[in-house]
Amino acid sequence: MTELATMDFHPQPQAGEARPWAFPAPERATLDNGLTVLRCHRPGQRVVAVEVLLDAPLDAEPVGLDGVATIMARAFSEGTDKHSAEEFAAELERCGATLDSHADHPGVRLSLEVPVSRLPKALGLLADALRAPAFEDSEVERLVRNRLDEIPHETANPARRAAKELSKELFPATSRMSRPRQGTEETVESIDAAAVRAFYEKHVRPATATAVVVGDLTGVDLDALLGDTLGAWTGSPAQPRPVPAVTADDTGRVVIVDRPGAVQTQLLIGRVGADRHDRVWPAQVLGTYCLGGTLTSRLDRVLREEKGYTYGVRAFAQVLRSAAPAVPGGASGAAMLAISGSVDTPNTGPALDDLWTVLRTLAAEGLDDAERDVAVQNLVGVAPLKYETAAAVASTLADQVEQHLPDDYQATLYRQLAATGTVEATAAVVNAFPVDRLVTVLVGDAAQIEEPVRALGIGAVSVVRAE
Amino acid sequence: MPMGHTATAEAGTGGLTATEHRLANGLRVVLSEDHLTPVAAVCLWYDVGSRHEVKGRTGLAHLFEHLMFQGSAQVQGNGHFELVQGAGGSLNGTTSFERTNYFETMPAHQLELALWLEADRMGSLLTALDDESMENQRDVVKNERRQRYDNVPYGTAFEKLTALAYPDGHPYHHTPIGSMADLDAATLEDARAFFRTYYAPNNAVLSVVGDIDPEQTLAWIEKYFGSIPGHDGKPAPRDGSLPETIGEQLREVVEEEVPARALMAAYRLPEDGTREADAADLALTVLGGGESSRLYNRLVRRDRTAVAAGFGLLRLAGAPSLGWLDVKTSGDVEVPVIEAAVDEELARFAAEGPTAEEMERAQAQLEREWLDRLGTVAGRADELCRYAVLFGDPQLALTAVQRVLDVTAEEVQAVAQARLRPDNRAVLVYEPIAAGSGDAEDADETAEAAVTDENEESAK
Repeated sequence: MTELATMDFHPQPQAGEARPWAFPAPERATLDNGLTVLRCHRPGQRVVAVEVLLDAPLDAEPVGLDGVATIMARAFSEGTDKHSAEEFAAELERCGATLDSHADHPGVRLSLEVPVSRLPKALGLLADALRAPAFEDSEVERLVRNRLDEIPHETANPARRAAKELSKELFPATSRMSRPRQGTEETVESIDAAAVRAFYEKHVRPATATAVVVGDLTGVDLDALLGDTLGAWTGSPAQPRPVPAVTADDTGRVVIVDRPGAVQTQLLIGRVGADRHDRVWPAQVLGTYCLGGTLTSRLDRVLREEKGYTYGVRAFAQVLRSAAPAVPGGASGAAMLAISGSVDTPNTGPALDDLWTVLRTLAAEGLDDAERDVAVQNLVGVAPLKYETAAAVASTLADQVEQHLPDDYQATLYRQLAATGTVEATAAVVNAFPVDRLVTVLVGDAAQIEEPVRALGIGAVSVVRAE
Repeated sequence: MPMGHTATAEAGTGGLTATEHRLANGLRVVLSEDHLTPVAAVCLWYDVGSRHEVKGRTGLAHLFEHLMFQGSAQVQGNGHFELVQGAGGSLNGTTSFERTNYFETMPAHQLELALWLEADRMGSLLTALDDESMENQRDVVKNERRQRYDNVPYGTAFEKLTALAYPDGHPYHHTPIGSMADLDAATLEDARAFFRTYYAPNNAVLSVVGDIDPEQTLAWIEKYFGSIPGHDGKPAPRDGSLPETIGEQLREVVEEEVPARALMAAYRLPEDGTREADAADLALTVLGGGESSRLYNRLVRRDRTAVAAGFGLLRLAGAPSLGWLDVKTSGDVEVPVIEAAVDEELARFAAEGPTAEEMERAQAQLEREWLDRLGTVAGRADELCRYAVLFGDPQLALTAVQRVLDVTAEEVQAVAQARLRPDNRAVLVYEPIAAGSGDAEDADETAEAAVTDENEESAK
């Protein structure tokens, strides 16, 4: 039963004329100390974003010291030769600045954001942190304890717990990627100030680092400013580290991490696939969006909007690490291809059954032109919105550098997406998510979900009991 | 143009300006031009939130927000999402205590589509709303509740503390997500009545910000929204006013499977829109904002008794605001140790007030937050609606940062003395059970998230 509306209706309006927009091209330069600098002027963006990439990847961590890159990254903001830890934090906040640092497989990244009026001061602090970090015993000890305190919180978080288990399943035990990025209780406990300093001495230097500066730089003499700050950082020359190949075991199987009493099951279904260097990437992006990029993609159309099993399930590809390819378009690194979300406990079996049906139907029938068109229009059309802030532009430019991609990569990708057809997108997504080569991690109540999941026949099922 | 209007164009923060207009049916419109990027944000605030809900129907405003994405007279099924995303736009809706907002950010040349879509559902939602949508979105919202609250450690802290801080029967006693029982009880007729009562042009503010032609934009707004009839059937929300202080310490101990002990508290603070609320914001920033704050320095750096410690402000206009304390303990530290240190720091702050350096830092941090919020067209559109709906004047959004910078150290001290006291708070203590088999969230993010996210529900 519906009712009549009393308004005047008009036909759906047509779009006006699109105004041109292109992903910004940065200027690239090298400072005397070897630091690579990318800069990009974005009018009106009064909060400037600065990203610094250090060639200090997780695979460089010494054996038994997983987490030392993370502790080093955090320790950068805990005092320098000029300021104590408390003073350093206070000086940054006095600038209205934020400085986040984290370590991941490709390296350590520092992200500074600051109103342009206080950029000189904040860049000076950032340069101090890189050039002369204090790494005081007591501060490092505190960071280690703090990190140890965080681990049980992460273990208890269903999404993080699932991610940890998937890494352990996919990658060989000898690979750094099989182990938690920020270390385990056992390895973190072994980290001290000497270990942090040794890691810093060995892997942190301007010659293998890159800084990306984005924002409204009107009236800013960036060359002079960089010269006084990041340009004053010195270090020995070095070659970039070789990037180890990524291998993974994607034999189809299911691992249930038992969480007695959980009202939902966290799903993480993944494997490893092509990175941005592979020519299939644009088609993989497009196909993955059609599968699970948004609420109107195939997965949510069934799991959420038809069945109500979930608040939302997403498919995505996230680059783990890339190297410069030997030949253009050749293999280089790997991305995690995954489907994640959570479904209510009683509907875990039916939800997975539907999910597999969506994948099988996709493989059998392919995408249709209409959904491909909408996906392209979204992925390409949202670019001006997505890159409105300096931070968003800086982050993508930094990703490109980190993944050994050319500076015009993102701009090119938009053109490639627009030129990718339905058939290519179908092939890419079916290849990315083959039904018999997916590792499924379920964090949930094993007593309730194990039997229904076994009955689906989506791979051997094992259970990790609650720790 | 048939619009009784009150156009003003004042220079605001950073040269931003906004003009105001009103359609004959009562729809208020705020426009702000910015041609730097070819994007336009549309934001529509309806003056209805969970405070308007009645006993037995908590969560209805938010469930209804989901139904707004299920199609209207000229929009099939998920068409709101499909059409906006297919045009290269992004969209969502959120529900809080005091309002429900819907927003689209579009490439500038697709602005008209977003206006057409918003008008279609404002005027004709009930022609499409049916049982199937209702049953489906009820399940989706229940799964949203499980995912964000019930299945994460400390997930229900916000709900518990709000229920403590506002007395039973108070319109803010329950949070926007609502209870499972009430979500189950909501009927299609409830949803229809909710729409008829609250979804009217004269109960909404529409803002459009970005690369727009204001005259053309107004013409489109008149064309699409102008014929939607206004109505005055809306009951005022129950009175949210309360005495300035609680007058006693309220307390609840929760024994749950959590990975660490926690001390959380909600202090009763001045209503949003007052100079005292800005002073309170500065006080909380000095005490618990960022990593140079007094509580962070004391608990995390010096005493090393906490893994995370911070304060946030939940600004509310129709009831006292809440100052939100969140401390997760380190190792096997007990809660009384934390509590004594917090009380000592708060008492010292009330006695001494902030130092000049602390004021400078806190004002710089809040200024930066405003720059971030006003730095995108979507953020600006949302703030213009906020000030128009809650305080009757969108121009206040453009001068908000200056008001924060005008507050003096004496005013900050005064609000701390009056409000940041043990007898003006509700306290929630978490004691873990079944050690080692836990539930948890990222401790780093909790203090801020409690204020910025957990009071809002969203469709997507």
